[in-house]
Amino acid sequence: MKLSVVQENLARGLQVVSRAVSARSSLPVLGNVLLRTEDAGLKLTATNLEIGVTYWVPGRIDADGAITVPAKLFTDFVNTLPAQPAIDLELQGDTIHLRCGRYEAHIKGIDADEFPAIPTAGERPTTRVSQKVLKAALAQVTFAAATDEARPILTGVLTRFSGDRITLAAADNYRISVRTIGALDPVEETTIVVPARSYTELSRILADSDDPIDIVLAPARNQVLFHLDEGIDLVSRLIDGQFPNYQQILPTSHTTRAEMERAELLEAVRLASYIASASANVVKLSVPSDGAAAVMVTAAADVGDNQGEVEAKVEGDGTTIAFNARYLTDVLQNVDAEQIGLELSGPLSPGVIRPVGDDDYVHVIMPVRTAS
Amino acid sequence: MPSRDRPTILHVDLDAFFAAVEQRDRPELRGRPVIVGGGGPGDRGVVSAASYEARAFGVRSAMPLRTAGALCPQGVFLPVDGKKYARVSREVMAILRRFTPLVEQISIDEAFLDVAGSEALFGDAVEIARRIKAAITAETGLTASVGVSTTRLVAKIASDLRKPDGLVVVPAGEEAAFLAPLPIWRLWGVGEKTRRALADYRVTTIGDLAALPEDVLARRFGKMGPLLRERARGIDPTPVGIEAGAKSISHEHTFDIDTADRETIEKTLLSLADGVASRLRASGVKAGGVAVKIRDSEFVTITRQRVLPDPTDLTEEIWRVALDLARPEVRGMRVRLLGVAAIHLGATEQIGLFEEGRVRRHRAAEAVDQVRRRFGRHAIERARLLRGEIPDPFERDPLSPPDARRAGRARPTEGGEDGEEG
Repeated sequence: MKLSVVQENLARGLQVVSRAVSARSSLPVLGNVLLRTEDAGLKLTATNLEIGVTYWVPGRIDADGAITVPAKLFTDFVNTLPAQPAIDLELQGDTIHLRCGRYEAHIKGIDADEFPAIPTAGERPTTRVSQKVLKAALAQVTFAAATDEARPILTGVLTRFSGDRITLAAADNYRISVRTIGALDPVEETTIVVPARSYTELSRILADSDDPIDIVLAPARNQVLFHLDEGIDLVSRLIDGQFPNYQQILPTSHTTRAEMERAELLEAVRLASYIASASANVVKLSVPSDGAAAVMVTAAADVGDNQGEVEAKVEGDGTTIAFNARYLTDVLQNVDAEQIGLELSGPLSPGVIRPVGDDDYVHVIMPVRTAS
Repeated sequence: MPSRDRPTILHVDLDAFFAAVEQRDRPELRGRPVIVGGGGPGDRGVVSAASYEARAFGVRSAMPLRTAGALCPQGVFLPVDGKKYARVSREVMAILRRFTPLVEQISIDEAFLDVAGSEALFGDAVEIARRIKAAITAETGLTASVGVSTTRLVAKIASDLRKPDGLVVVPAGEEAAFLAPLPIWRLWGVGEKTRRALADYRVTTIGDLAALPEDVLARRFGKMGPLLRERARGIDPTPVGIEAGAKSISHEHTFDIDTADRETIEKTLLSLADGVASRLRASGVKAGGVAVKIRDSEFVTITRQRVLPDPTDLTEEIWRVALDLARPEVRGMRVRLLGVAAIHLGATEQIGLFEEGRVRRHRAAEAVDQVRRRFGRHAIERARLLRGEIPDPFERDPLSPPDARRAGRARPTEGGEDGEEG
């Protein structure tokens, strides 16, 4: 193996794939990046066995070959090298010989055959989605996934393909976030559960552009693969199991509805949360009955209390409900709308937040039962 | 230590408590050797309490009942009636609290009091000790021995010196001299292992220990060294504590004999967790965290605590965390005392999305609470705790407001002692 690449390209590629490196694996080779010449370039691959990321760096190939090198050492080294001249890499036995201008290094590697096989694109995509649209949808959904492993299925994001619609849903024990987006090619009804962590990594790779990303479903292999034209592949394992039937939980009616500016409500909840964090992190929302013009957001704890008014258009009965402040700030930070509608059915029933004028997103938060 | 210029700390210890209660309630037993423990002389349990008549035969607490039966065949063997003793204990503690709010109950039959602030009302500490003894005898028919000193440590040793019905006062400045001639085993915190180690230095009295050079102690006992030396001189900076109001609900249990048995430890934690959970439910609060307290045979006490992802008032959830916290700590240890506490109490409860299971468990727990209120603590029991030798959980903080008993008393129809279990 003998090649030369531009420092900037190699550094960028290493930055992308190194997110998938498992630093503390019992398998030493998983702490390495696989370097393999392919298609007149250098292909970088890293995996932690949950996700695998591949990045293709253009370069001048003099001789083909492959090796794995310690990810952190190699990445740090390449990041610090000057942008000019190009980096020459040559494999000598199990050691990669790196030369860049006045600098020269030998880095010991592990044989490429020890690296797990990572499937890459090449298969026909099942469907395609706009990168921008998928990125926005993931931001509105993945934060609601559970982070503890008590119920592994809830650490995943339900992803349902149906015709030209893709529905993404994530839930922990107290909230659920559901977003539907359009697919560019129709798909037969298929449902998979993708680890939220995989989607978080995918989001980092996605650009804010209308360029499509290819999605290759391989449920038989228990995998899903995402492919970007510039030479990035992300493959993720799927989570086995039955995602709870969230549709049963989504309220179909309400007795109170308040329409508010998203940013205003977020500000009021944030202010209340500083007080609330001293106790159980509970903020109360008091919605007056029809016609009134403001929702009260309050918090009280040993350290003090606080109240704020949020301008609102209210329909229906007045009610008071308590929520964990964090769940409210999470959704209000991530939902993409100027105005949101808060739908309630009394103090102990789920609260629903919808962006005004957008039926494709819904977020449900369970309330907190308080003593008073 | 903040040295006091006069003795104001009292240690009140009821004499042969369980046996005395039985003799009080059954006059025909007075003057006879009464042995309380387990289920009778053939039982594999141990002696929980022996009347002074029985002690004359050599019967002692924590002795196997069979041995007691052999030593004292004419003894009257009675099973432990935990419910009754808990009730009498509460009466006695209520008497103590008339003299000072600073009452720290350390087991079912003993408590520390700091009467420094009560002297203007009732006379000096010695006078207060006399009044307490008289009140206990007049109102409960029992006798108590009292030690009075400047520290908890010395007061406790003093109360034990002239049992029964004793009153021993150690004036300020005479603590070390008072302790010096006493055998080393009387010193609080000196277990069997320490005693054997000290024997290597020919230490047999507390005075011998106090006279050991500091560096010898530090070399042999490490961090415990200086502490032992201080104790031997009667120095104990620990103040008399009262339980912190509504901050926690805890139950603890001291084993008759220290145990390393996993099953016993787990069952005890379950029983303690059950007691804590039912008091949480009765007072309408949830635990935001769980703490366990473990004391080993050397009197070393540790506590471990954890914040819960979701507040709870369910036995299983508290027990699971308590087990998790205790397991790595008790490995290979002889445990003297276990405690389970609900901490970070709060009245809020996050309602869950997928909670049918939890809701059902909650209903079951509430049904159990109701049965127990009507028919008594043992009317319904967890299968795992059946036939166990684990007595009722001892209530650590009977004064704290979130208390099952108060809730019970507020409803006259549920009054009566059966409704009072925590």
